[in-house]
Amino acid sequence: MEFQDGFPNYEVLAQHDNEAGIGVRKRLMNVFWLLLVITLIEVAIGWFWNDIQHSTGLSKTWLIIGFIMFTLLKAGYIVMTFMHLGDENKAMRWMILGPYFAFIIYLIYMTAVTEGAYSGEPAHRNLLNPVTEMAKEAPAHH
Amino acid sequence: MSSHAVAKPQGWGGGTSPLATSHGKLFMWFFLISDALTFSALLVALGFFRHKYADVWPVSTDIFTHFPFTHAHLPLIYVGWMTFDLILSSVTMVLAVEAGHRKDQKAVVLWMGLTVLGGAIFVGSQVWEWWIFIEGSVDGAMRWQLIDGQWVEKIFTGANLQYNEYSVTPHYANFFFCVTGFHGFHVFSGVVINMVAFIMAYTGVFERRGHYEFIEKVGLYWHFVDLVWVFVFTFFYLL
Repeated sequence: MEFQDGFPNYEVLAQHDNEAGIGVRKRLMNVFWLLLVITLIEVAIGWFWNDIQHSTGLSKTWLIIGFIMFTLLKAGYIVMTFMHLGDENKAMRWMILGPYFAFIIYLIYMTAVTEGAYSGEPAHRNLLNPVTEMAKEAPAHH
Repeated sequence: MSSHAVAKPQGWGGGTSPLATSHGKLFMWFFLISDALTFSALLVALGFFRHKYADVWPVSTDIFTHFPFTHAHLPLIYVGWMTFDLILSSVTMVLAVEAGHRKDQKAVVLWMGLTVLGGAIFVGSQVWEWWIFIEGSVDGAMRWQLIDGQWVEKIFTGANLQYNEYSVTPHYANFFFCVTGFHGFHVFSGVVINMVAFIMAYTGVFERRGHYEFIEKVGLYWHFVDLVWVFVFTFFYLL
């Protein structure tokens, strides 16, 4: 192990030789193609959604769930491969991802139980935006 | 500089770090964790307002239909192109990191140069999109506006922080400006940092230093910017 000033030299430990580089690059390119294909699928679904909905009768909830799944898939590949988090040790991975699992659980709670349950009520809307409410609720002129 | 078998480890005395990561990379991760929470706050707020104004919230697919040099109706194609450009520059970035691990200076310079180019194209694309959004359509839309202390209903074209022709609620345009603006500024600063890394690689700073970890840290930031765009693309444009 390489040391510098008494500490392991992690900067140098991360290095690899030309031969190992070929495999690494191949993996990176595979992830790139995957991200590209997912993006193309997303754009296509977004473009043709009205037709898809018309012919299959799927509800918009499925669209939202599908897009969130695609997004998390892409995010996972970016973080694990491009940001090399998959190559870090277990403690490091958990330290970074842990807070977000807690955050996501809180987000679900917030959406389903607290804010998500009342924020659509008209009584709460007026407080925030008089301009919109006026446009929507003022009696029509002329 | 570096020597094997150090007799007396300094610092906390444990020899190796439990995270097995250099402090520079660790602190870049700390910064990204907090920055991601800032973006999360913006996106959660967007979700909240979308839900609150669900009946008047427009469909982004119907608004972002423009493409340069053509009047064709191309929903999401321009945003798709921006996404593609950012993914591409992410790949060139990660290839620069990989080349750095092999201490291949020429390859690092090449890939960093392409990353800077990709980032600059993205910033330019966003400028164009903002311009189209602010300019608006020819017809505009009827909006209640506060003029000289009076609420009057008049044609309004384009968008600002008070009114926009896309929706009766100003929040739609506000979130467009805030979310893509905050992200765009990250891209802009990323391009500047990438340019610094490019120049340092070109002038051989990392060769003298013995490692290319700076590229790796810059890469973490740049991939984070791409990561955020993945979420913005979904939550602002697609849904």
